[in-house]
Amino acid sequence: MTIEGTTELTGFELHWEISQFLFEEAALLDAPDFTGWLSVLTEDIRYRMPVRLTRERKDGHSVDPDAVYIDEDLASLSVRAARLGTRSAWAEDPPSRTRHFVTNVVVRAGDAPAEVAVRSNLLFTRSRGGSTANDVLTGLRSDVLRRADGAWKLARREVVLDQTVLGTLNLSTLY
Amino acid sequence: MSRHTRATLEPGMHKQLLDVQERLATGTLPQWVLTDPTVFNLEVERIFARTWYFIGHESELPNPGDYVTRWYINDPVVLTRTKSGELRAYLNSCMHRGTMLCTADSGNRKAFTCPYHGWTYSLDGDLIGVIADDKVYGAEMDREQWALRQLPRLESFHGMIFASLDPDVQPLDEYLGGLGWYLDILIGRTDKKMEVHGAPLRWVVDANWKIGSENFGGDAYHVAMTHRSTVELGLSPKDPLFTSYGHQVVLDQGHSMSVITKSPKLGPTPPYQGQPEELWSNFERNLTPDQLGVWRDAAVFHGTCFPNLSFLSPMHGAGGHAHLTNFLTLRQWRPIGPDKVEIWSWFLADREAPEEFKKESYKRYVATFGPAGTLEQDDVEIWTRITDASKGLMARDKDLSYGNVMNYVMGLDRVDPDPDWPGPGTAYPTTFMEAAQRSFYEVWNSLLMVD
Repeated sequence: MTIEGTTELTGFELHWEISQFLFEEAALLDAPDFTGWLSVLTEDIRYRMPVRLTRERKDGHSVDPDAVYIDEDLASLSVRAARLGTRSAWAEDPPSRTRHFVTNVVVRAGDAPAEVAVRSNLLFTRSRGGSTANDVLTGLRSDVLRRADGAWKLARREVVLDQTVLGTLNLSTLY
Repeated sequence: MSRHTRATLEPGMHKQLLDVQERLATGTLPQWVLTDPTVFNLEVERIFARTWYFIGHESELPNPGDYVTRWYINDPVVLTRTKSGELRAYLNSCMHRGTMLCTADSGNRKAFTCPYHGWTYSLDGDLIGVIADDKVYGAEMDREQWALRQLPRLESFHGMIFASLDPDVQPLDEYLGGLGWYLDILIGRTDKKMEVHGAPLRWVVDANWKIGSENFGGDAYHVAMTHRSTVELGLSPKDPLFTSYGHQVVLDQGHSMSVITKSPKLGPTPPYQGQPEELWSNFERNLTPDQLGVWRDAAVFHGTCFPNLSFLSPMHGAGGHAHLTNFLTLRQWRPIGPDKVEIWSWFLADREAPEEFKKESYKRYVATFGPAGTLEQDDVEIWTRITDASKGLMARDKDLSYGNVMNYVMGLDRVDPDPDWPGPGTAYPTTFMEAAQRSFYEVWNSLLMVD
């Protein structure tokens, strides 16, 4: 069996470093500390969440080439974080209890020397109010991380959810 | 008259609905009607089965064989384009054993073949293939009798496709009535008309469907509070009356449209909600001077086509009041149960608009009114709170012993219509008004009482 892509897999230490980054980043989102989260993004961050479709195999790809739930840059993500910090962001006040479980991390060389391409699986759970049932989203994340001044930062993120109809009332946080 | 079997009203229900009618005349609505399971079943049978139901836009299936699957409440529908280019809507269910034929959201087919026993239907719905037919069914099988079941009525308006389960429903044009004049402005304003961009966004919210319809239908009053976070951030004006300027227009059949103009404190909006100048002559060819006049001063349009299709055409910036960009979204509130709604949201752009403008417009749409939208997310949060608070003994008491009526009094007998309004409908010279919501519930109430 071969693993898709022939780019040489990177070493243990790098894998450990990148995994730690993803876990720390998830902790910021779950805290929630959205302002802190902004500080691990590069200036040119592009954050996208395309729309998944149910399609027959013969009709090709199950990700809509045109539709997105989220398509943002640092300026708009900053507005989003600031909004969650206001006294009237009702969707998240009281806040949901969210948990990002990040697994199946694969690290490959990126397009630029200081970059790595990272693939991971996301299990996102959201507990609201007194409900015993968590809202659940699952998906595939494709990230680009860039190293600058000794620290990794998130430069690209694409999250493709598995659900075609979202099983949560809104996408009020980040993934 | 609708074809399906209808339940007659439970004893007492007619009297209770008459009581609701009386309450509505004084501007109140009993809270029990919101999530009552009996009322919900009546809504499906007496409103949704007898009115026009939006099922898609023509641009979603441009080529012969293209199809999309949709839900007419609980009926799965496959909407397709035939070889000759006609639109057809079928119950998505094989005539042999009832199997759903298409389970994908969209695609292209030459024919519909059932995966169970192989019965095959043409795009025109004809049964064209039965495995071992002569051997098992003999020559006497009348294939015409086993064609796919078409939805009884299918009509379009400016590319918007509606179906009805009632063969005798009035023509769509007539049903839309005066709303059509406003839809000309929103959807029928350019030579090549509009197209949908991307698949509809869909999400499920634990709320009753009527809340979405009445909110988009006429609730400019909620903006300052529900969306206060955007005021705190300086994205929306500080003037608490900023969405009150303009007209709320009440139309026949429960439809409504609000035309909000910019706060006088903020100065004028660019003409036609800042649409690109190269389209202006196109608009002027397709709209009347009165329509152009209404649009020229508008900042936001929002309205509802009874019962559950809403329109929103606002202007939003990437941050602050600069570079406000207009977009149009169509929103369907598909009832799943008394306390559950599936939201379907489409984005439309004029085919002839510059590509850059379309891209920017789509971005503003998802950033504000997609499920991740900075405005949308607070709306649905509140709608679940309404629904959660309306299910108990006190809220659902039908004798109204607990004062369990909701207040729809705003503007009742206090605001006179504007006699100079150039468009159809009864236009009140403010959008802080609940005449649209009262009209929505009056039509809703009267249809529930029709056997």
